[in-house]
Formats: sequence, C-alpha cells, structure tokens
Amino acid sequence: MFAFQTLLCSLLTMLPPSGPEPVKIEVFPTQVSLTHARDRQGLVVQAIFADGSGLDVTDASNFNLDRPIASIKNGFLAPLADGKANLSVIYRSRAVKIPVQVSDAQKVLPLSFRNDVMAVISRAGCNTGKCHGAASGKDGFRLSLFGYDPEGDYFRITREMGGRRLNLASPENCLLLNKATGRVPHTGGIRVEPDSESYKILTTWLDQSAPTDPAESRVLVGIDVYPKEAVFAKPGLKHRLVVRARYSDGTDLDVTRFSVFVGNNESAAKVGESGLLTATGPGEAFIMARFDKFTEGSAIIVRSGKPFEKSVDPKAGEIDNLVLAKLDKLHIRPSGLCDDETFLRRAYIDLIGLLPSETEYDSFMADQSDDKREKLVDKLISRPDFGDLWAMKWAELFQIRTTNGISDKALKSYDGWLRSRISKGESIDSIVRELIPAVGGSFDNPPVNYFQTETSPQILAENVAQVFLGTRIQCAQCHNHPFDRWTMDDYYGFAAFFSRVGYKGAMDPRELTIFNTSEGGISHPVTSKSVKPKFLGGDEAKIPPGTDYRNVLSTWLTTPDNPAFARNFGNIVWAHFFGIGIVEPVDDSRVSNPPSNPQLLDLLARKAVEYRFDVKRLAREICLSKTYQRQTSRNETNLLDNRNFSRQTARRMRAEILLDCINQVTGTTDSYRGLPEGGRAIRIPDGAAQNYFLSTFGRSERETACTCNVKNSPTLSQALHLLNGETTGGKISSGTVVPKLVQQLGDPNAVSTALYLRCLGRRPSRSESEKIKAALAQSGDPQIGLEDLFWALLNTNEFLFNR
Amino acid sequence: MNRKPEVGTWHADPAHFKRSRRDFLRVGAISGLGLTLSDMLRIEAAQSGRPRSEPKAKSVIHIYLQGGFPHMDSFDPKPDAPEEYRGILKPVQTRLPGLFFSEHMSRMAQVADKLTIVRSMTHTEVDHSRGEHSMFTGYRPSPALVYPSMGSVTAQQLGVRAAMPPYIVVPTAGSQFLGSGYLSNQFGPFALGTDPGRPNFSVRDLSLPRGIDDSRFERRKSWKGLVDDHFAKTQSEDDLVSMDSFYRRAYEMLSSESVRNAFSLKSESEEMRKLYGMSGLTGPLAFRNGGAARFLIARRLIEAGARFVSVTFGAWDTHAFHYRGIETQMPILDIALAGLITDLDRRGLLESTLVLVNSEFGRTPKVNSGGGRDHWPRVFSIMMAGGGVKRGLVHGSSDSLAAEPSASPLSVEDYAHTIYHLMGIDASKDLMSPGNRPQQIVMNGKIVKQLLA
Repeated sequence: MFAFQTLLCSLLTMLPPSGPEPVKIEVFPTQVSLTHARDRQGLVVQAIFADGSGLDVTDASNFNLDRPIASIKNGFLAPLADGKANLSVIYRSRAVKIPVQVSDAQKVLPLSFRNDVMAVISRAGCNTGKCHGAASGKDGFRLSLFGYDPEGDYFRITREMGGRRLNLASPENCLLLNKATGRVPHTGGIRVEPDSESYKILTTWLDQSAPTDPAESRVLVGIDVYPKEAVFAKPGLKHRLVVRARYSDGTDLDVTRFSVFVGNNESAAKVGESGLLTATGPGEAFIMARFDKFTEGSAIIVRSGKPFEKSVDPKAGEIDNLVLAKLDKLHIRPSGLCDDETFLRRAYIDLIGLLPSETEYDSFMADQSDDKREKLVDKLISRPDFGDLWAMKWAELFQIRTTNGISDKALKSYDGWLRSRISKGESIDSIVRELIPAVGGSFDNPPVNYFQTETSPQILAENVAQVFLGTRIQCAQCHNHPFDRWTMDDYYGFAAFFSRVGYKGAMDPRELTIFNTSEGGISHPVTSKSVKPKFLGGDEAKIPPGTDYRNVLSTWLTTPDNPAFARNFGNIVWAHFFGIGIVEPVDDSRVSNPPSNPQLLDLLARKAVEYRFDVKRLAREICLSKTYQRQTSRNETNLLDNRNFSRQTARRMRAEILLDCINQVTGTTDSYRGLPEGGRAIRIPDGAAQNYFLSTFGRSERETACTCNVKNSPTLSQALHLLNGETTGGKISSGTVVPKLVQQLGDPNAVSTALYLRCLGRRPSRSESEKIKAALAQSGDPQIGLEDLFWALLNTNEFLFNR
Repeated sequence: MNRKPEVGTWHADPAHFKRSRRDFLRVGAISGLGLTLSDMLRIEAAQSGRPRSEPKAKSVIHIYLQGGFPHMDSFDPKPDAPEEYRGILKPVQTRLPGLFFSEHMSRMAQVADKLTIVRSMTHTEVDHSRGEHSMFTGYRPSPALVYPSMGSVTAQQLGVRAAMPPYIVVPTAGSQFLGSGYLSNQFGPFALGTDPGRPNFSVRDLSLPRGIDDSRFERRKSWKGLVDDHFAKTQSEDDLVSMDSFYRRAYEMLSSESVRNAFSLKSESEEMRKLYGMSGLTGPLAFRNGGAARFLIARRLIEAGARFVSVTFGAWDTHAFHYRGIETQMPILDIALAGLITDLDRRGLLESTLVLVNSEFGRTPKVNSGGGRDHWPRVFSIMMAGGGVKRGLVHGSSDSLAAEPSASPLSVEDYAHTIYHLMGIDASKDLMSPGNRPQQIVMNGKIVKQLLA
C-alpha cells in the first residue's frame, strides 16, 4: 500500500501537465550569447505533437547548464561568469541542447541613446503620430515619427530649449521624467511607471549626463520573433513570444519588453503587452512585434478543438497539395468540386469575359471525355478575348488614360502598343523592359506615355513598387514605415531611379518627348543629402556612368532572381481566378500583411519564372487545379474561411465583363469612345472614357495605379439601374431575343429554358420549370411573361456573379 | 468589439492598428437578418453603455462652392484695407450690429441673425484637390490613403432613414473627395445625375421605365423572386447579401410615394420658386439662376429623410477677372441660400438641419495683376446655420488684410469633429480601412464649444 502510494506520488510529480507525448521539442532562440552584465535572454520551449499542433512548455521544462556561467529563472538566462556551456532543455522524454556563451559578464555597458533610450521612448508611445511624433509635435515638443530621425530627437530632447527638458544637476527632477511619469500634468497621461525598467534606463542615462552615441556605436540590423509560427490545438491555450534584436557588431539583445505587439485578428489570438499570446477562437492571426524601425511577425493558427480527419486526395496537384497542407493545419475540409455547367460558365467568364453560348454549352455537356475541362481551358486561352482581358488589366496598372495632356492620338498609340505586344505573345516582363526605360516622343515610342501620366519621381517610384512589386512604399515618403521594412532611405533610394526623367516638347504640340537628363538627383528630406539609386529591398545600384538609371531598374525588376516581381505576378494572376489574392490586397504586400499561404505563393512565383511570365500557361495551370474548380458553397469546417481557398468565391462580374455579357445575352451592342460600334467594353482604350453603366458598376478610371480602383462591391445605384435602366429592359426589347426564340421554338417553356441557358448557363430545375410554367400561364401574353423572366434573369445574383 | 484604447497611448494611435476583419464579416452575416451596418453600430454604441443624446443636426445640407470662394468679397469684407486688397465691392450692414457682408451678399445680410459665420477657417493646402480632401474628409491628404467624405461616413455610421439614400450629391459629386474613400463604395453618394434646374428634370432609374406600370413591376418582382431562390439557398457570400439588401432598398424607394416626390420639384409652388430665385428674377440674373433649384431640391431631400446632401454650386476659381467672375454667380447664390435658410426656418427645419457652406479654400488677399485672386488656405470663411450651432455668431476673425487668422483659428480637424458631434457621430471612433488598419473618423480633432448653441 505504502509502496503504491509512493509510486503514485512519484508518478504524479513526474507526469507533465497533460496531453500526449510530443514528437519533438523546439527551443528558441537556438543559441544564446550574453555580452554584458545587464544582458538577459528569455527562452521559449515549444512541444510539437503528432497532429502538428504546438504547446508552450517553457514552464514545465527543466533547464540544466553543464557549466555555471549563467543563472536561469522563469525561462530567463542572466550572466554569471565568462565562458561557454551547453544548456539542456528537457521536457518529458524529449531533450534539446543549445550553446550558451557569456562574455564581459561583469562589464556594465554605458547606455546608448539610439539603442536604449529611444527604445524606451518608442515603447512608451511618445513618438507616435498622435503624440509628439505628429508633424508639428504636441504641446511644443516634437519627436520624429516612430523615431526615424534619432539625431534630431537627441537634439530636441537635450539641446532645443536648453535646460527645459533635462536637468543634469538633478536628473530625477526634469521635465522629461516629470511629464513621462505624470508628476506634472501631461496630456498623454502616465507613460512610464517610476519603478519600471524604462524609468531606470532614463535616469541612468541622465546620471551619465545624457551622452550622445559614439560615432561607431553599433546599429540595429534586424529583429527576430520566436516562435515564427504556432499551431494551437484549441482555443484558450497560451504561448509566450520572444523578440531578439540583432546588431551590426554581431551581438544580440532580448528586446521583448521593449517591443510593441499587435495582432490582426483578436477573434483568433490576442497578444498582451509582454508578448504573451492567448488563443481566443478558431482561425488565424498574425502577431507582429515592432522594435525600433523593424517589424517581424509570428503566424498563429488556432484549431477548433473538434475532431478532424485530414483530407486525402491522391489526385491533388502541386497547387492543391499546398492549399490542402494549409487547410489541414487549420483543420478545414475543402468544399467539393463544382459540376460541369458551373465550371463551364466560370471558365468562360474568368478566361474570356463572356458566357458560353447554347451551342458551346451543348457540346461541352455532351463531351464524355475525362479531359474535357482541360480541352475547354486550352480552347479559351487561345481566344483573342483572353489577351484583351489581360490587356485591360495591365492597362489599369499602367493607368492608360487621357490625362495630364495625353492626347487622344498619343493614347491610341499607347493602347495599341500594349495590345500589339500582348497579341504577339509577349509577356509582362518584356513589356516592362520596354516601358520603364522608354525615351523618345509620345507618338513614336508609345510607352513613354507612362512618364507623362505621372511625372514626379516619387509617384513613379510608388507606382512601380505597387504595380510590379506588389508593395506600397507611400508611408516611407514621410517616415519609416512602422509596419513594414521600408525606411525613408529605401523610399528615396528607389525614387532616385526616376530622378533623371527629362521632358521637352516636340514638333506636334500634342506630343511630349521624354529623355534621360543624365544629371540631377533627389535629396533626402531629413539629411538633405543627394540619394543614390537603391533597389527596393536590395543594394545600392552600381550604375556605369552614362547609363540611364531606368535601364538598370527595369533589368533588376524583371530578372528571374527578383522574387518580388515573380511573386507579384503570380499573385495577380491567382487573384483574377479567385477574387482574392494570396496576398490581399494584391498590391499591399507587407511584413504585417503576409501571404495567406507563403508556400503557394512561392510555387506560383517559381512557375511564373519557369513559364517566362506567360499568363496563359499560369492561368491554365490554375484553372486545371482542383482548388479553382471547387464549389462556392461551404461546409461546416470552412464556414468562416475566406482566405485559404477552401472553396471558390462568388464574385460579382466586373463592370466591363458584366456589360459585355448583358450585350451578349440580349443580342445588343453599345458604342464606346475609341472603339467601333459593337466593340467589347473590355477593349475600351481610355480609362477616362465615360459610360454610365460602367462607372456605376465600378470600372477603374485608372486615376491611380491602385488595384482598388476596380470596385466590384454592390451599390444602390446598381440595383436601381438593373431594375429600371435601359441596360436591362431597353436591351431586352431592342435585342428582340424573346420574339426570335418564340418564333424559333414555339413553346414558351422551351424559350424559358433557352433563356436560362443563355443567362445562367444551366437549365431550370424541375421545380423552377413548374413554377415558370404556372407563372407563364398566368401572365396572359406569353411574350410579356418571357420578357419579364428575361428581365428577372438579368436581375438575379446568379447572373451578376461568377460562381 | 470597439474597445477604445486609452487616449494618448500607442494603442490609440490609428497608424495601422488592426482589428479583426471577422468582426466586420459578422456584420455581413447579421445583415441577413435585416440589420444594416448602422444598426449594428447603434447596437454596439448602446451596448458600450455610453448614453447617446439625441443629435442636434438630424440632417446636413452641405453647399460646396467649387474652386475657392473669396472670403473678403462675401462674408469677411475689409473696407479699410488698401484698394488692391479690399477690391471693388461695398460692404453692406447685416441684421447684426457691426457685422458687414459684401454687397453681393445683401439677402444673406438680412438673415445674418440665423447664421454662424466662421472667419478663421484655416489649413495649409493650396492645391484644389488637396484642399477638397482636407475640407470634405477632415484629414490632410495622405499619399497612402483616400479618406471617406463626411457624407459617406454619415451613410456608413447612421444608415438609411425613411427609404431615402442617406447621402446624396446634387447634381453630381463636385469633387472626387466627396466619395467613399477607403470605405466600400456602397457608402458612396447617390447622385441626382441631372441638374434639377433643367426643364423636365428627373432622376435616372428612379421611376419605372416607360411601358412598365406598377402591376407589371410587381409581376417582375415575383419573377425575380422565382429566379433568385435556387442560388440564394446555397450561398452566403457577403457581396451577395449586400446586393440583395440594395435590391430591397431599391424596392422600398420605388414603392414609396414620398421618396419619389422628394426627387421632383413639380409640387413646389411659384411662391416657393421665387423664394429660391428659380423664377421672378429680372435682368441678367433671370438667365443665370440655373443653380437655384439645387437648393430647393436639397431641402426636399432632407425633408424626405436623406441625412447628408452635398450641393455643388458655381465655379469660383477666378484667377483672372475675378469680379466679373463672381458677379455672375454670387448674387444668385445670395438669393438661393437666403431662400433656403428662410424656408428651413419657416418650416421649423432649421433647428434640426445643419446648413454648411464651404469651399476648398479662400482667395488671395491681394488682387493679382490680371485682376484675379489666387488660392488662399491660410484664412477663409465658412458659413453654418441651424442644426445645433449658435444663431447670429461670428466665430474667429482674420487680420486686417484677410490674410491670416487673428483670433480663434478653426482647423480642419476641429471643424470636422464639431460637425460629426452635431450629427451624433463620435469622431474619435475607428473605421476600418484596407489592410485592416483602423482609422479614426477624425484624428486629433476637438469639439469647438463656442460654435454650439
């Protein structure tokens, strides 16, 4: 009995909190180096289980150092003596060893303004846009926004209004501390608690006479957040995050307590100020940590906790496997595949922007071969309408419109140039290589119109970054981007590529000549120094004298080694077929807006390079994936999923396509400026061309390069126009489709079926047929009844949306 | 879900904080139950426990004087300034002792006791579109984001009333920044599309097409119901739900007598037309009164339930021949605007309707060599009346040349914050911009109490 109790007791103490044995444990960071007396490093231990979920087991783990060079308390290492040692981390049956190095264990480093004091200021929120970081400061005190100008901040704190803000004779009694601690009235309230580490850092720095940093002081080069990802088995679990800063001298520092944490989805995971995560509900969240000018994130997945079986699909392709891998992590089952009629209509709209005709419907449905979907896709991508559709999409991004003095003549040649390149089968990289370095007259060399549409180097740089690299650098014009990697140096370095675009008139007053000025540059607004061209996210460009900056830029942009260009291209093509990008919005890729499936995006980028940026081949591959062919309806596991392609999305047809389809089914045409009568709306050359239907349904006027100019969301005016406007009722009467069908088919019920096929790409269901029959019988004149049915078909979501 | 961060904290900084998109999706799901976003927000406000007092301005008529309105030649004359500054117009005494308007504003002078004139509006944007963005959104223009206009924020926050579109522009949006900005275009303005001053004026798509009577339309609606059913059963996409809700709203509008009448001037009497300057004028003015009808229809629209009506009037960008340019427009503005104020007041609507007259900026204090005045944002005048602002008030002042504010400068942020306050909208609340970045409706603004009645 006694023995049993002992056994039970020892079992109880040995037993870990709960749950199964992990398949492995991971310790972050994977090595520790402590380089001065005040240095500390937090550790986080994550157990990984067979189902792929992780658990923070830091508190339940045992830590053993083989030499006593550091102390360990609550998962924190602090230096005791110089030397090297191994730290064993043990959790249940699993163990991991990491190296620990301690140097200068007794040395107390002087505080650095740049690295220590600024960290306190940032963490306390003093330099945000709402407080002293505002352009004009706050209550007479200004700091640079998010600390983009440390030298200026040092000046303003220590020298501006000498003697007011600091009191070196009595450091604890200065305005800076009195305000921060709320000892004197402070609009911003109490920002620093008197007994906090932040307070100690400030007072120590003041005790040391508020020194500036020595010229050679170390510079922060980046931060890392650990763990980079975590999958929670169910809501309610907690996990700690550790943030480590890396410096130019090779040292690092645990900056968790000075980092600002932000999550993007509190219904999945919340993060506390100390970096402690809590899983709140099933879903995904991205948790960002910001320290100084760097932001890094950790991808969090929270499962529902309900039983789940992995999807097994032996026929899944490369794309599908990556999508399914993500869905498995999330415990989401994808929707089933759509039927042939749905696929037919979907592929027609997405690939050529039209609906299948009744004959096309019949032949596709009659085809019994296994590869009929493949044959259909091949047929559609070889139609010229496919090229027209993509010409429209690129024209939006190039902002092809009569603006800023671009004449109709120049516009016509600009539009014609893009179309001819696409119809010749040139891909976007070669088009960009012609566009970006373009020089000459706007009639002779149409792509120079790009430099007439926008003329400032800053806006050109912003547009090129947004359109071809999928990233928005606008914020960095005025301050370092707080949630992305872009700094003002990056911004002006990139803008410098466009600082030598020269403009002069030509013989024809409607024409403009663009040339390379071979001199001049752009200066940094903080330092006022001239900025050398620097690739975005890359190095300073090495430009041989006499070379046009833009030549160098276009080569760098489109080289297969530039992952951002290929990813952006892949994402744009993907988003066309799903209504949502892997990065969404497609032109807003940031550290804080990561791709929903990075592996999938990388695959598309690889394929893009492999296919030499040929839209056709990539589109073909996407359309033949099971992922593209899924139904729009949901199951109970993917009800809330909008980002992971577990189903197709019902997408309202964009304005041009919708109008083309209405013209197609009603047998009518429209006239548009710059096109012959009967031309398709997707071919309208000028973004500024006016058309009530198109602007009401959100056609892009191409005023900016943002993809957000295409608006597909419903509005009241759209509903009113479809109900009462000439585009439905008027076209139904003028197109005389109903009388023709009546004449041809005789039986009103056969006509109604034909109308269904025309508009919805399917036959009415049995119950619909019965109702239609009854309604037609009631309506007296069958033609009026049928026209009303036609009207209803144009007014139904099933028509307006691609599903 | 709208936990408000402590003022002044990092977390309160709108620079790119994120909240769950799912919160917003939930609204989409709930709208299937017939709740609009604004219902949601009201419920939310109610739940947050903050008592919401009845707003003073139940509707806003915003009159946008496009191009830059000369403050010194209208609401802020400087008769004592040197000639090249004061211009050629004479001041006229208003009903308020010591207060003078320019002679082109003589009818307005007669209703000055009902107005609040702000003579110290100020910002720093000299470019038209940048000035418009500032005045209509309450934000300085940002390279990263276009902010929603006050009308769109109103539509998004307060929603539909009496089946009327909440935000209407007359006749069309006079500025790109009268749009929905980063908000969904479903909160964009509903445009009349045609000038109400035209003979046979009617609004596009607002009446049943020729040959379709009510009973035929009813049959069409039931056909639509028949066709809709199949697809609707299997789908729950947000955009589908909102398309359906717009169809429902369109049905409501089309079936409402009062909505249809609101968009027509037919029932207005000759006397009323005279009051607004639409008829009864003699001389050149009789041919230049096309814009007057916009003021009258604006009153009809808010009367029927619209919350925010933006009227664009005139072309004030008089870089040359300034006085010739304004003499063709300001007298009719004077009549129509005074008519609107008088009419609203007689109907008892002025108490609950905020009339707001502004422009992207004023004009240069000194007449240029071409006899024009150029752009001037440093100080200019705006006018307000009714809707909870004081009657007969002059707020702030400009210096002796109408060049700089000399007392109580009114910033764009404070101006916008105060207007929202009058409408019962908490301007410190966050809206969601793309990329899940919450943005305060107005950043750093405060209520200007001196303006409030």
